[in-house]
Amino acid sequence: MKRHRFDIGSLVNEEVKRTVDLSTHLAKITTEVLLSNPGRSTVNSFVVALEPELAPHLAFIGASGQEEKDGSLELKETSLKGQSGKFFEVQLLSGLAGGSKLRLQVETVLSHVLRPFPTHITQAERQLVVFQGNHYLYSPYLTTSQTTRVRLASKNVESYTKLGNPSKSDEIIEFGPFQDIPPFSQDPMKIHYENNSPFLTISSITRTIEVSHWGNIAVEETIDLRHTGAFLKGPFSRYDYQRQSDSGISSIKSFKTILPASAQDVYYRDEIGNISTSHLLVLEDAVEVEVRPRFPLFGGWKTHYIIGYNLPSYEYLYTLGDQYALKMRLVDHVYDDQVIDHLTVKIILPEGARNIHLDTPYQIDREPDQLHYTYLDTFGRPVLVATKSNLVEQHIQDVVIHYTFNKILMLQEPLLVVGAFYIMFFTVIIYVRLDFSITKDPAAEVRMKVASITEQVLTLVNKRLGLYRHMNDVVNRYKQSRDTGALNGGRKTMEAEHRTLTNDISSLQARLKVEGSDLADKVAEVQKLDSQVKELVCRSCQEAERLVAGKVKKEAYIENEKSLASKRQELINRIDSLLDAL
Amino acid sequence: MELICLGHFVLSHNPEVWILGELMLNCSWGGVGGDSIHRIHPALECHSLVVSLSSFLLRFNYRSTHHLTSNGFYEFLNWFDERAWYPLGRIVGGTVYPGLMVTAGLIHYVLNLLHMTVHIRDVCVFLAPIFSGLTAISTFLLTRELWNQGAGLLAACFIAIVPGYISRSVAGSFDNEGIAIFALQFTYYLWVKSVKTGSVFWTIGCCLSYFYMVSAWGGYVFIINLIPLHVFVLLLMQRYSRRVYIAYSTFYIVGLVLSMQIPFVGFQPIRTSEHMAAAGVFALLQAYAFLQYLKDRLTKQEFQTLFFLGVSLAAGVVFLTVIYLTYTGKFSLSLMRYLCPPPRYAKIHIPIIASVSEHQPTTWVSFFFDLHILVCTFPAGLWFCIKNINDERVFVALYAISAVYFAGVMVRLMLTLTPVVCMLSAIAFSSVFEHYLGDDQKKDKEGLGPNIKSIVTMLMLMLLMMFAVHCTWVTSNAYSSPSVVLASYNHDGSRNILDDFREAYYWLRQNTDEHARVMSWWDYGYQIAGMANRTTLVDNNTWNNSHIALVGKAMSSNESAAYQIMQSLDVDYVLIIFGGVIGYSGDDINKFLWMVRIAEGEHPKDIRESDYFTPQGEFRVDKAGSPTLLNCLMYKMSYYRFGEMQLDFRTPPGFDRTRNAEIGNKDIKFKHLEEAFTSEHWLVRIYKVKNEGSSRTSSFLRKARS
Repeated sequence: MKRHRFDIGSLVNEEVKRTVDLSTHLAKITTEVLLSNPGRSTVNSFVVALEPELAPHLAFIGASGQEEKDGSLELKETSLKGQSGKFFEVQLLSGLAGGSKLRLQVETVLSHVLRPFPTHITQAERQLVVFQGNHYLYSPYLTTSQTTRVRLASKNVESYTKLGNPSKSDEIIEFGPFQDIPPFSQDPMKIHYENNSPFLTISSITRTIEVSHWGNIAVEETIDLRHTGAFLKGPFSRYDYQRQSDSGISSIKSFKTILPASAQDVYYRDEIGNISTSHLLVLEDAVEVEVRPRFPLFGGWKTHYIIGYNLPSYEYLYTLGDQYALKMRLVDHVYDDQVIDHLTVKIILPEGARNIHLDTPYQIDREPDQLHYTYLDTFGRPVLVATKSNLVEQHIQDVVIHYTFNKILMLQEPLLVVGAFYIMFFTVIIYVRLDFSITKDPAAEVRMKVASITEQVLTLVNKRLGLYRHMNDVVNRYKQSRDTGALNGGRKTMEAEHRTLTNDISSLQARLKVEGSDLADKVAEVQKLDSQVKELVCRSCQEAERLVAGKVKKEAYIENEKSLASKRQELINRIDSLLDAL
Repeated sequence: MELICLGHFVLSHNPEVWILGELMLNCSWGGVGGDSIHRIHPALECHSLVVSLSSFLLRFNYRSTHHLTSNGFYEFLNWFDERAWYPLGRIVGGTVYPGLMVTAGLIHYVLNLLHMTVHIRDVCVFLAPIFSGLTAISTFLLTRELWNQGAGLLAACFIAIVPGYISRSVAGSFDNEGIAIFALQFTYYLWVKSVKTGSVFWTIGCCLSYFYMVSAWGGYVFIINLIPLHVFVLLLMQRYSRRVYIAYSTFYIVGLVLSMQIPFVGFQPIRTSEHMAAAGVFALLQAYAFLQYLKDRLTKQEFQTLFFLGVSLAAGVVFLTVIYLTYTGKFSLSLMRYLCPPPRYAKIHIPIIASVSEHQPTTWVSFFFDLHILVCTFPAGLWFCIKNINDERVFVALYAISAVYFAGVMVRLMLTLTPVVCMLSAIAFSSVFEHYLGDDQKKDKEGLGPNIKSIVTMLMLMLLMMFAVHCTWVTSNAYSSPSVVLASYNHDGSRNILDDFREAYYWLRQNTDEHARVMSWWDYGYQIAGMANRTTLVDNNTWNNSHIALVGKAMSSNESAAYQIMQSLDVDYVLIIFGGVIGYSGDDINKFLWMVRIAEGEHPKDIRESDYFTPQGEFRVDKAGSPTLLNCLMYKMSYYRFGEMQLDFRTPPGFDRTRNAEIGNKDIKFKHLEEAFTSEHWLVRIYKVKNEGSSRTSSFLRKARS
């Protein structure tokens, strides 16, 4: 953090109205100042100061001018020579001219400044806390007039400092008005009062935002909670807690977390599983989760849980070409008046995001980027990590992350899946098609050999049967044309082809016999039947010759031919059935 | 032996609070094919699938797996868990079967290698359903080897939905048995295959599968006894063959060497009696083979003389060796443990084994509940097998007979019976269907008209349908409930979830010192270690009976005596389960007599069971109860401030809903303890032991140092 020395100039605080709100576990101090410039030169900035005792507790400081349109002013931490405490330089939008006045408001939130006293209470006791502050406005300028109003959590006040005879009514104590207070004046203010409001502190929270360009933003918060009020002393009695309404009055049973309106799939769990004691309420502008820890939180007790949800990315992700901008809350609501001791934000961008630039609404510590691997990632997703301590509700602001992302990379993951399946199927294809066995199975081999031989036998036998049909045609044609030469030629070719086919089949039959297959016998039978068929074919041929030669009568021939044909058909059928059995 | 169950597990009788099981409201799943659906039932019912599941995990296994994945395998083998069995600690690496954790860890590793960022918890949750699918496949293969393909398919369907197996394989039941049944079936398949083929290849496969089984579950002893028995019976039946010789010789040697690689098993396979049958059969087989060899080469007369000599010599040597080894204590003759029904044996010897409901003898009801129609049909399948006997059917017959015996001894071993029942029933159904659904080609069968055929078929189908309905019902009602989350129903039917266990465990985890020591009964040891992440004194791995007895003694003594024990054990917190407010019957008072008995076993002088009964011999918590009971630590912790509590207007204050009695001691004050936490429904109560001595060095540690 850069501190630079600053010349305070000479300004005067007129009409200071301080409101110290101590009704929760925070101290919220609002100071309304009428700032005047008695000098002649224009002043462009002024200094806001914080007491050295309170400085370490500072969670948030902000200034706003009442005349200014937009309200809030820019603050920059600075230091003053010879003075302790924290100082902030506030830039005025338009300078404060000499002699003019300006009404301003400074808001300060302090955490862990209310100290429980006694520090340990029993279940039946009420929680008392002490606030130690300053009666005056701690300022580098002269204050002409000041009032302080303190708002407490209850009417019950043990003691309070009585500077300037303050008036007290119900929960409010009014101090002042004090006149002409010199710069850097301090007068300890101490108020000891009852405060049973939930002293709940998030000792650490890790907020993970995972952006997917497929339309989803997953948010997960891992939260460590602690009750930072007075410690529970002695036993915890469930009986008293259930029966008496004021037993354990400072304990925390549940609280409400407000999630964005578009939050879906909300889960609430811890290391040992789903926490069944929660309720979800979907409102119009928000999703409200009633978070009930597994057990009521008493002073000093802590718990730990994880809450997560999904958001649609179109509400938070803006894009222009390859340029993307993610606008999300850096930290979100956990409970009202929340205090976060330590925040870690992790923003996981899609794989391939480059030129990442982070715009934060306030100072936050960046840690070295990390890589995150999840489904189908190859070179990892960039993770931005940032941390900050001591945050309050006022820190719920948007952060903007700019990055560029080549849209082609969207195809990477589907292609990866396609490639993986492709390789898988290809492997299966190769495995199925090729033979990887290192041994030979003789039986299977024989079986395969026999199968191939029978295949050949089948084709040959069919071919041979085809020859007979062809011969038949030749004979019929001969009967009309009476061309003996054609008949003899046909007969000759048939004889020749038949001989080669029969020889082939016999050789195959021999091979079958060698392989030891009983199919050889069947083939032999086929051969035997076939020779009979051939005989019949020859006879029908001769008959036809005789008919043409006029040696037989037509009727006798037809009769004869019929019986021959039926005989042949019968034989062929038998051959077919044998072939089917092969 | 790991006693994994939650202990005494009794269903609630209170009509208002239906504890356990009623997490399924609208289960409309039907049909046979609902394997995965059945198993993921419990997971689906709770709102968020993965999130809620972790509560079902068996916490210790999950914890070890987590340790394995985060610290690596060697670190896991060397893991000394100082958080259990305080102050003794427990050597986890050497006392668990690592198969389950290694399997889950390996799947997790492979998935993460591929950048599938699955949490180890999710792997653990879905491991059992995945392996049940593999079991179905291996059952199919085994049945196909035994009978035919049709029977195999039926068997796979049966094992997929049978409640007896679903009970161990629902999503989230991350237990040894979940993967062990797969290993068992697959080993048997490979064994049958190797006996059939006589091939060393299949036998080596069988050995590897056996190795996996040894690494996964103590039930491997079943395999190493059943396979030798099979071989032995084959020898007796004159069914000796080369194939059997090759298969068994290879299996015995390779299986033996492999099984000894598991640290927890170590040298047991050559030392303990339960492995001796395998060795004996191995020797016998060698001798038999040798004799067969000689027979071919000698005359009948020579052979007989040699045979007689050889047999008597061998018998003498074996006898003397056993005597010698037993005498010198090198191996224990503990056959008693296996042959005598454990409850009977244990009631006399170790009450702790008898105190677990899973170790009770199985009732007929639970046979029917877990197997339904299969229990009736499987003898028929067995008969079919015996009628058409061959080598592998001898095996399945032996498998069936031994499994029936074991299942009758102990509820827990029902699990080993389930697969064989599925297989044999499938054979029975398949044969019947083949007979009655077959084509009408064979017309020679008399009296089987189409009417009879269709009637029989319809009847069979009806039986199968009822079986499927029963399985769905049982799965959704009895086996789908997470044991740490209870549900109750209001009168209007709306559901309340009682998440007290996790409430209290999480309180312990968050709000006690990291090294705090929690004393509780052993049933809750794993849960405390897993969910609360605190040191326990005793847990479900009941390896040290005297330590448990010491805890039992502390629970059953009066406060000052208990305080002494607790001081000596460095106890910071005491956790008890009390069901009196909601009527949960599985609470510590109902288990209390077991604590007394176990304590009495070790400290008979200080604790006597009879002191806790009324003179009439009753165990009562009301005014008539024995004063010893009314002032013992367990009673006081259970009922502290309960006497002021009026649950409803019909009953007096301090009315215990579980035992339906008004408690007898309403004025309970503690001197050395204070209430630290009580869960919303008073189910879990945690007390803090006040630390009065200035230095917190325990006498135990002091003793240890001096």
